[in-house]
Amino acid sequence: MAAVVHPGQASHLGDWAGRYFHIDQVLDKPGPRTDPSFLAGDGVKKFLREECKILVIGAGGLGCEILANLALLGFKDIHVIDMDTIDISNLNRQFLFRQKDVGQPKATVAAEFIMKRVPGVKVTPYFGKIQDKDDDYYMQFNLVVCGLDSIEARRWMNATLVNLVDPENPESLKPLIDGGTEGFKGQARVILPTVTSCYECSLDMLNKPTAFPICTIANTPRLPEHCIEWASVLEWPRIWKDKKMDTDDPEHIGWLYGVAAARAKEFKIEGVTWALTQGVVKNIIPAIASTNAIIAAACCNEAFKIATSSAAYLNNYFMLIGTDSVYSYTFIHEQRPECPVCGGESVEISISRDFTVESLIEMLTEKQHIQIKKPSLSTPTKQIYLQAPPQLEAATRPNLEKKVSELVADGGEVTVTASSLPFSLSLRITYT
Amino acid sequence: MSLSDSQNIEEATTSLQSQPDAKTRRYDRQLRLWAATGQNALEASRILLLSATATSTSILKNLVLPGIGHFTILDAATVTPEDAGNNFFLEGPDSIGKNRADEAVRLLGELNDGVEGKAVQESVEDVLEKKPEWIKGFTLVIAHNLKAKVVQQLSDLLWEDEAGPGLIVVKSAGFLAEFSIQFHDHAVIESHSESAPSLRITEPFPTLLEHATALDLSKMDPTDHSHVPYVVLLVRALEDWKKNHGGNPPKTFPEKKEFKKTISALKVKMDEENFEEAENQAYRCWTETKIPSEVSSLFELPAPSLSSDPNTLQFHALLTALKEFTLTQHPHTLPLSATLPDMHTSTESYIHLQKLYKARAGEDKATFNTLLAKVPGGAEITDDVVDSFLKNCHAVRVLRGRKWGTFDADREALTTALQTSPRETSTHLAFSALSALPSDASPTEESLRAAVHGIVGQDIELPEEFDNAIGEIARSPTADLPTTSAFLGGLVAQEAIKMITKQYVPINGHCVIDLVETWTGVIS
Ligand SMILES: [Zn+2]
Repeated sequence: MAAVVHPGQASHLGDWAGRYFHIDQVLDKPGPRTDPSFLAGDGVKKFLREECKILVIGAGGLGCEILANLALLGFKDIHVIDMDTIDISNLNRQFLFRQKDVGQPKATVAAEFIMKRVPGVKVTPYFGKIQDKDDDYYMQFNLVVCGLDSIEARRWMNATLVNLVDPENPESLKPLIDGGTEGFKGQARVILPTVTSCYECSLDMLNKPTAFPICTIANTPRLPEHCIEWASVLEWPRIWKDKKMDTDDPEHIGWLYGVAAARAKEFKIEGVTWALTQGVVKNIIPAIASTNAIIAAACCNEAFKIATSSAAYLNNYFMLIGTDSVYSYTFIHEQRPECPVCGGESVEISISRDFTVESLIEMLTEKQHIQIKKPSLSTPTKQIYLQAPPQLEAATRPNLEKKVSELVADGGEVTVTASSLPFSLSLRITYT
Repeated sequence: MSLSDSQNIEEATTSLQSQPDAKTRRYDRQLRLWAATGQNALEASRILLLSATATSTSILKNLVLPGIGHFTILDAATVTPEDAGNNFFLEGPDSIGKNRADEAVRLLGELNDGVEGKAVQESVEDVLEKKPEWIKGFTLVIAHNLKAKVVQQLSDLLWEDEAGPGLIVVKSAGFLAEFSIQFHDHAVIESHSESAPSLRITEPFPTLLEHATALDLSKMDPTDHSHVPYVVLLVRALEDWKKNHGGNPPKTFPEKKEFKKTISALKVKMDEENFEEAENQAYRCWTETKIPSEVSSLFELPAPSLSSDPNTLQFHALLTALKEFTLTQHPHTLPLSATLPDMHTSTESYIHLQKLYKARAGEDKATFNTLLAKVPGGAEITDDVVDSFLKNCHAVRVLRGRKWGTFDADREALTTALQTSPRETSTHLAFSALSALPSDASPTEESLRAAVHGIVGQDIELPEEFDNAIGEIARSPTADLPTTSAFLGGLVAQEAIKMITKQYVPINGHCVIDLVETWTGVIS
């Protein structure tokens, strides 16, 4: 490498003369739409290449692309968290992994690949859950880029970064750039915690997952999917009791497929296949390299613009649909005043006086903008229903059948919590 | 008890598929988008990339991963320190001084053992001069940041042969980019449209009508009553309505409201979901058309010349038979699709209804095949293609492409586009200007403006968005930014996949990208 470092040029951090020829063109000069506060030149380069610390959540389809982009852009201190190991079905798009890496942790393999390919970049992997890390850990970063496929994990990350904001300390506001893809479609967005709309604000934009009513599955199957759900939801626990179903285990998928196919045959339903069985039980979302490349690039482009001010950053949502020509839409997603994470106002719920606690819980799990699985409810003075620990669950269980109006006054507040989410939701109950 | 002891599995596994092979598992997430037919097309494709820039290798990465058959990179250049800094498919300083195509092919090849890659160390100019026919041996040719003169030559070469490869022209500078695809005709059977085929509620086929009119809702037991599929309910309700309204369906708003009320009045219990579905789907009774206008407009297309590519000729034969079908077969609809959506009903009545649809779809297919056999070339079309065509005939698409450069030569179209899409058109023109400037010139706002006037004339009025575009290009005229190249790499690969698989719908025009404000737009 020494041979290519030209005399008089910086050779630290693995750099060589000309390395940043492309990027420096936008860092040495403002464009017509660049904010006047942009200070072109060495200061911004130094921040980007020597000071900025960036966290990447996920080393999968988006994560691999994000890491490669950030490294080429000149970010030198990159951290990555991922709890998954590499599967053969990742190889059609997660381009930092090879056949020999199957079974290895994604974060570690990705970090090593980037450091080998892009000299001078330090990538620190963490093979584990985002929930393992505390506020101090997240506080050390300037930016967070999120490429996850799990809604739960995103909600957790989003709420954690919103909670981190201390109005007295501007450093505590960590921009969160979030991307997601499905087939030829995807979206990228910039979240400035407490300032712009957050992930929780836009929960109602998610596609409703297809849920089949249990009576259809049990009594009136019509589609191959109904037979597969019968196998996984009803037959698996009946036959295997407490044994956990592992949707990555081909033996388990094979069993479900066999059971579903037998049921389909009995009801003369066509179309149960191995691929469909796997698709239904794993809730597989189609994914391709090209869409991930677009969305990851959009996310990293925002990270770069925020870190350097070389151009305005996205305000605040970009969505792309590539199925019919190239259609995209850039817009401002508005903050929701009653967002349980960043809004502060309570959610108004109007129910009849006969409404039971159980129905209220069901309503909370189903409402598009709430979607809380297993909520626990309490008022400032009493516990209405708690999902855990077991003794409290047992103690509060009789309340499920009671009417909400017996426990909460008209206009009263109910606090909703769930163990999977680091925030609580405040409901104001009125009766019709 | 272990899994293999299970009785169920033994009973069920006879005639079952086993776990898919390694290749199917590797491609699982994409096979769910384009199936084996799309994958076969990809694997048969041969892609030519002109130059191994960061953008070019980004595009290729997204084509090698899903498994194209072959790619060639044509590039005589040696890796410079600048190249090594922004291209992920070069090994940093270790690649400096080596041939750029060789290095890129080696590193891209590692992504997928099933793909063949080849480096050709020659310049485009040389190849165009010495062996232009070689370029025509590919499925698709992709060119990044070539000068206008070279693109013109390429475009001329590839346009002269109607069955020749498509050409994707890609341009980028700093935060801005654009690309366009040159093709003659592009026919898509599997458009993966979200619109569903007609259920023929307004034009019920005889067995469906018979089934619906035979119902005696008043004498049914309550369970059966709540299991009559909404399709059947609607056919029946519409039939009854027409009897009392001179053979007409509900037309005015009050009539439509009343029609829904008659459905709701048939309920014997408040919560009969099938009746709720029927009410919600009642709009089908007045919106279903015999033939979607997008499809009937295709019937007017002129016949392609015999030198067109085989796909276009085959598609046209199918289209001719389809037109004939709609003209000669009562009630002049498209052939029935066998696909029935899920609806609230019992297994038995759903399967029964499905059988009615399948039987009729089978009859329609037989009629269609008879008509197809009379069309030149029709008899040679495989059954799989016919099935796919009939399944998708409500949403088939034909794109009539144009030669590269047509837009820039069309003053009227440009003037309109500058008004309707000022930012997209401005950026497009700025790129036309950039590629028209001599390669040794360093572009300035003045030279770019002058070059645009050279292309579109002195008197054209340029909007303020044009200043943004040339300002941004003058700021970073030769910058192949990692994020812009990755973004383009994804978009161009998506389009290439759509072109090759002939599934989904590619762009027809210029796709313009602005990563300052993060938007894209298509103009033509
Ligand atoms: Zn919020």
